[in-house]
Amino acid sequence: MIKPAQKHWVDYLILGLSVFLVFCLLFESYMELPSWVSWLGRWHPLVLHFPIVLLIIAIFLGLTGKKVPNSLLTVAVLSALITAISGFFLGKDASVKGDLLVWHQWLGGGLALLAAVWYALVHVFPSRVAYQKGIQLVLIVLIGFTGHYGGMITHGPDFLAFPSDQQKNKIPENPLIYGDVVVRILDNSCVSCHNPNKQEGELLMTGLGELLKGGKSGKTVIPGDPQDSELIKRLHLPVDDEDHMPPEGESPLGEREIGILERWIALGASDTLRLDQLEPSEPLVGLIEEMMTPDPEKKWQDLPKVADSTLQKLSTDYLTISRMASNSNALSVDAYLPPEYDPKQITDLKRVANNIVELDLSGLPLGNAEMSMITSCTNLEWLELDKTPLTDKSLQPLVNLKNLTLLKVYETKITDQSVSVFTQLPKLSKLYVWQTDISESALKSLQRERPALQINQGIDPITKDFFVTTDSTDTNSLQ
Amino acid sequence: MEEQKKENPLKVNRRHFFSQLSIGIGSLALGSLLIPDLFKNGQMNLGQQPLGIPHFAPKAKRVIYLFQAGAPSQLETFDYKPMLRKRMGEDLPESIRNGQRLTGMTANQEKFPLMPPAVDFRQHGQSGTWISDFFPYTAKIADEITVIRSMHTEAINHDPAITFFQTGSQISGRPSMGSWMSYGLGSENKNLPSFVVLTSRGKGNSQGLYSKLWSSGFLDSKHQGVLLRSGKDPVLYLNDPEGISRSEKRDLLNEVSALNKLHHVETGDDEIESRIAQYEMAYRMQMSVPDVMDISKEPKSIIDLYGEDCQVPGTYAANALQARRLAENGVRFIQLYHQGWDQHGNLPNEMAGQAKDVDQASAALVLDLKQRGMLEDTLVIWGGEFGRGNYCQGKFDPANYGRDHHPRAFSIWMAGGGVKPGLNYGKTDEFGYNVIENPVHINDFHATLMYALGLDHEQLTYKYQGRRFRLTDVAGNVIKDLLA
Repeated sequence: MIKPAQKHWVDYLILGLSVFLVFCLLFESYMELPSWVSWLGRWHPLVLHFPIVLLIIAIFLGLTGKKVPNSLLTVAVLSALITAISGFFLGKDASVKGDLLVWHQWLGGGLALLAAVWYALVHVFPSRVAYQKGIQLVLIVLIGFTGHYGGMITHGPDFLAFPSDQQKNKIPENPLIYGDVVVRILDNSCVSCHNPNKQEGELLMTGLGELLKGGKSGKTVIPGDPQDSELIKRLHLPVDDEDHMPPEGESPLGEREIGILERWIALGASDTLRLDQLEPSEPLVGLIEEMMTPDPEKKWQDLPKVADSTLQKLSTDYLTISRMASNSNALSVDAYLPPEYDPKQITDLKRVANNIVELDLSGLPLGNAEMSMITSCTNLEWLELDKTPLTDKSLQPLVNLKNLTLLKVYETKITDQSVSVFTQLPKLSKLYVWQTDISESALKSLQRERPALQINQGIDPITKDFFVTTDSTDTNSLQ
Repeated sequence: MEEQKKENPLKVNRRHFFSQLSIGIGSLALGSLLIPDLFKNGQMNLGQQPLGIPHFAPKAKRVIYLFQAGAPSQLETFDYKPMLRKRMGEDLPESIRNGQRLTGMTANQEKFPLMPPAVDFRQHGQSGTWISDFFPYTAKIADEITVIRSMHTEAINHDPAITFFQTGSQISGRPSMGSWMSYGLGSENKNLPSFVVLTSRGKGNSQGLYSKLWSSGFLDSKHQGVLLRSGKDPVLYLNDPEGISRSEKRDLLNEVSALNKLHHVETGDDEIESRIAQYEMAYRMQMSVPDVMDISKEPKSIIDLYGEDCQVPGTYAANALQARRLAENGVRFIQLYHQGWDQHGNLPNEMAGQAKDVDQASAALVLDLKQRGMLEDTLVIWGGEFGRGNYCQGKFDPANYGRDHHPRAFSIWMAGGGVKPGLNYGKTDEFGYNVIENPVHINDFHATLMYALGLDHEQLTYKYQGRRFRLTDVAGNVIKDLLA
């Protein structure tokens, strides 16, 4: 037990700190802090951990009906008050107080004061356990919210967002260079510190106007002059340089991201420029297109695992099975016509049918068994069936291959009847139908129905005619 | 302790369970801290990746390299410089030459009078690509190709320059780029070599071609380029001698291979395994090569496309058609060389002849690949080992002039295999002498080529004589702007 003499000055200390905290919160706008007081504020991130842990222990004991040791409660309440006051000092330092900071300040202040009330209650009305429990419950909620808001200020509002592999939203077709690309990069890497809640270096990066205005160290973005723009200068500093951005501990920007920011500034840091307004050889085009194209290996992530030994077993001298990339379960299969053809080497592929994304069976005398194997390859994206005995009937089941993007069926006997199959392949983007019996009009109507589909019917007749009628060995025709 | 001894060692009690569980969880946590990628789905360090599989999903699966040996002049092919006509005969300003070393052939010339091209240029296709009238067929595929006008190299003589282009080093002995691709990507068709070489020769001034250009260097000899000859025996010593049947050959191979395996167990020399594999491949090639080389089944429309020449074995046109057939059959790297582009004199006449040799067939190859959908995953490259100077070599005569070697700027084109069609990349100054925009060094070119094939040029290495070698050695940047 604590001796009465000791107890008194602790009571007064708690009362004094509470009154001081209330005074601070109420008369904030009239206060001007000397620099050493601001320095005290810097201790806030250190001391804040004590009240969180100590109060939670005390509340846990109280709610489970156990006795809360007086010394624990005393230290917890004192640390809560000190944390709140130091936090107030730190907050005074910020040039502008954003919403997050205001919420954090009032929640934190309320939390410390409520803890002090609990302390008083324990000493004045020790028998009112129900009141105490009520306060404990409110305190738990306050600790949660205050901590969360504080965390958002330091680490950015998205810090606790659940990690997801997918890009939040796809970059639209023909994006705005600023609105759709630059903003995305800044949001990912810069805005967590340069926002109205936490304006580091007096710099806001939440809008083009703010970027052009710059911060404490000068012009962040100088249109047309990436070399002198503070943003680019700092991105290019060595990672261990104090001025490098993002600062130590945060992941630096990739080469591509830096390149995009640099070229965007070089081209005048416009917010109306779109991708299709750029010259094709402008480096920015390549950088942005690379950012827009989804990594093909990502979409193959969920394919079933396939062992190297399985691939070895299925391969023959005339059948090559290879992974699309070394850590991928997506397979590419190339078959060549052996001296003695056996359909079994193709039908055996059924074991890995779900893994095959590219299948080249050009020139093989395919029968029904092989065709049914092909139909079971539901993840197939690329299929070569040229120079095979393909017919309209045997092509029909291919409608099941919903992922097919490229199909080669040239030099086959298929006719207009097969066109309906092509229209039922939603992802089909390239079709090679050179030397088939499909009529010109059927292909025209297919093109009308699917304007984005690239239909290749061979070399265009005018070019072909030029090659056939003028032979380069005929000297007179060229001069 | 006594109690524990009495327990069945297989029995796990509560205490064992918890103590082991904590160790297990602890080591998992530790493991994931030490090796951050431990639990990521199959993510591996590129350096540890197995050979014969691309590092990442490729844009191109094979390459047809139409090498124009001797170095065609960029000023008479793709780099249009009207300024040279305006300032015809004026001396090349020192501010432009800027200390460039010259070969012994023109270093002693008193003057370097600027010489305009003896051929007109026109813009072609929707891309508006400038192409000289020497290449009317290539003009028809202007929208299929990417012209790079900002290639540059360091070498100023043919042998070091072509060796640099082929192997990434001016000094002989390194593996050829085709060998590196074969080493990195493996074979697509086990019945043909993955790296094949075809040569032809024009009437222009020629420089030698040596087998060192397609050597596998320190890589396994199975990655060596195989020279296919025109005529009856495309591969020397491949056919069986008179009176030996195929089954006799099979028996022979079985016995030889058994002996070789014994020897391999004794010595552990990997070259023996490679030799066994080559015997087996040669056996299969006895069937596959004559089949691939036989163009008699090609329809007339295709013969017309490539030009009549393609029926004459050993011509560039025949090799171009052959290249398509080899590509169809899964050969990874098909290297053509056409000699005769070294125009130190008589340039207008010689270049017209050289262009006639290659123009139609090169363009036909691109069109033919396109209609077969093979341009999707086959990369075609056309170009020489360096460029040519903008000043006259020898007597100043606009109808009969020569151009000396020039390393600082030259033009090549590429098509298919993920390259952006219709792109004009890089610029030279008004004199066609220095690159002023988007330079592409040979190392950058190699890095980009490998990238298109799904290989990281910094990761594909081979350790030899105590250090790791790469095709790009210690340089090279991937030019992603070239790739769609």
